[in-house]
Amino acid sequence: MPFIQLIKANTRMEFIEMKRYLPNTLSMIATIYIIFLGMLLGINVIGDPAQAEANIQHVIVNYIFWYLTLVTLTNIGFTITMEATRGTLEQLYMSPLGMWKILLSRLIGYMALHGVIVVGLLYLSMATANQWLYLKPDLTLTILLITLVGIVGVGFMIAGASVIFKQIQAFMQILQFILAALAFVPLSVAPILILAPFVKGVDMIRHVMIQGYSWTDFTAMDYTALIVNSVVYLFIGIFFYLKCEKIAMSRGLLGNY
Amino acid sequence: MEEILIEVKGLKKGYKKRKTKEWVQAVNDVNFTVKRGEILGLLGPNGAGKTTTIKMICGLIVPDEGEVVINGITMQKNRLKGLEHISAVLEGNRNLYWRLTARENLEYFAGNRGNSRKEKASEIEELLHEFKLKQKENELVSNLSRGMQQKLALAVALLADSDVILLDEPTLGLDIETGYEVRQLLKKISEAGKTIIISTHDMPVVQDLCERTVIINDGKVIADEKVEELMNLFETSAYVLTLGNELTEQQQKELDVKFPMNELLDGMKLTITLEQDNDIYDLMDLLKKENTIIEKIDRTTINFEEVFMNLIQEEKNHAIHSIN
Repeated sequence: MPFIQLIKANTRMEFIEMKRYLPNTLSMIATIYIIFLGMLLGINVIGDPAQAEANIQHVIVNYIFWYLTLVTLTNIGFTITMEATRGTLEQLYMSPLGMWKILLSRLIGYMALHGVIVVGLLYLSMATANQWLYLKPDLTLTILLITLVGIVGVGFMIAGASVIFKQIQAFMQILQFILAALAFVPLSVAPILILAPFVKGVDMIRHVMIQGYSWTDFTAMDYTALIVNSVVYLFIGIFFYLKCEKIAMSRGLLGNY
Repeated sequence: MEEILIEVKGLKKGYKKRKTKEWVQAVNDVNFTVKRGEILGLLGPNGAGKTTTIKMICGLIVPDEGEVVINGITMQKNRLKGLEHISAVLEGNRNLYWRLTARENLEYFAGNRGNSRKEKASEIEELLHEFKLKQKENELVSNLSRGMQQKLALAVALLADSDVILLDEPTLGLDIETGYEVRQLLKKISEAGKTIIISTHDMPVVQDLCERTVIINDGKVIADEKVEELMNLFETSAYVLTLGNELTEQQQKELDVKFPMNELLDGMKLTITLEQDNDIYDLMDLLKKENTIIEKIDRTTINFEEVFMNLIQEEKNHAIHSIN
């Protein structure tokens, strides 16, 4: 199947680059881990000792999600900018499978590889904090995969903006704070955030990993909200991207940087 | 009857300049066709509209008007289907991933067209041998010479197994030896029956490879002829006369009037272009009158670069006449 080959090719490429520039990959993981240690220190030094355990558990889940969304979303914008600078962007557009499928396969590959890193970071964080969360792989993975669909949708929106504007680094810097806010603020504090991408997913995973929720502890409404949110963001993302692509082609912007 | 593979019909594209906001008609009603297996040279000075035309053929730029039909598929209606028949080298070595090796690039681009590494393995092996890249297959592209990068970009385009290959300046920036090597490779590719459109400034490439050429200037097609026919059209008799003594002032004046296309080098070497072969007798009379000694006469032939320059000059003169 051509799409499977596309995913294989792009995952392999991401893996080769990750391996070839191992010091870069390792320093990125180390930075993220140091940020976690900083958070942990903050809770222990200035936090309420009675709430410390619950706070640490929240931080572990939030920070893991923040990392995953951050690397995925900044990667897609960065990829388009880099491809345009290198001169390979137009070459990718020459594929009869369509650029949006190439981007999707890049995202899948990237998330799969970073998923492995996330698991490692999760165990490392739990060991560091000596706080062991409920993992429940079947439920956690299902919620995570559905949540990732919505993240891919946001990725397409960033890709669309990058195709037209190319230099969106300033926006990407702001984006990491927006993502942190979305990952860290509980849905109970701001219920309106259920409309934002991936917030419902993070909230549900928090319930599983911290409170030990099982499949039946969630209502049908929870699952529906999660799925609808992700699917809507995916469609909006692809639609937005294809619109941007059309504008870029009619203005001859694909080769510009 | 020879099958027409590419039809370019009434392409128009204009855009506003970023800084001055001035409207530029980059391509203005460009029409031409390309037969299956033909090698077409797309020529024109810088900014003539060649690259915009090539990118419209690929579907990377949407035309304001007109359409491109490839193998019966209208690119503007079904771009992805049309792309099954095209591959391109648009920016030479910049079309490659410099952080991957030569082999990894071939495998990656094969995958991007939906092919598995396994099914393309023997083809990749063949291309690496044919393009003399086998010894460098595991080198990062950034470590390869410009010539090798260019050859790799061509190999990537060939791996797509498409009917049409579009090449934008395939020999740009190459030294003479590598340029020759790339020309030989292009010859081989054309012999394999591929339809090729080459946009280039490299006249030996056109003279050597192309059967037909479309010359674009100011966004318009000013010539669409077989290379041979264009050469015949501009065939003039050019001679280099080595003189035994210098021309008199009077002779020089008469020469300038009767044969305006003349050039005297070191006072003794006269290069002259005659419009008709019979003019040579008039030239002899003019030289004989003042007892000028002619030591040697050599005939020179016109090359495609001169044909191209003549066409562009004619077009410029025509534009000036129209304004006046």
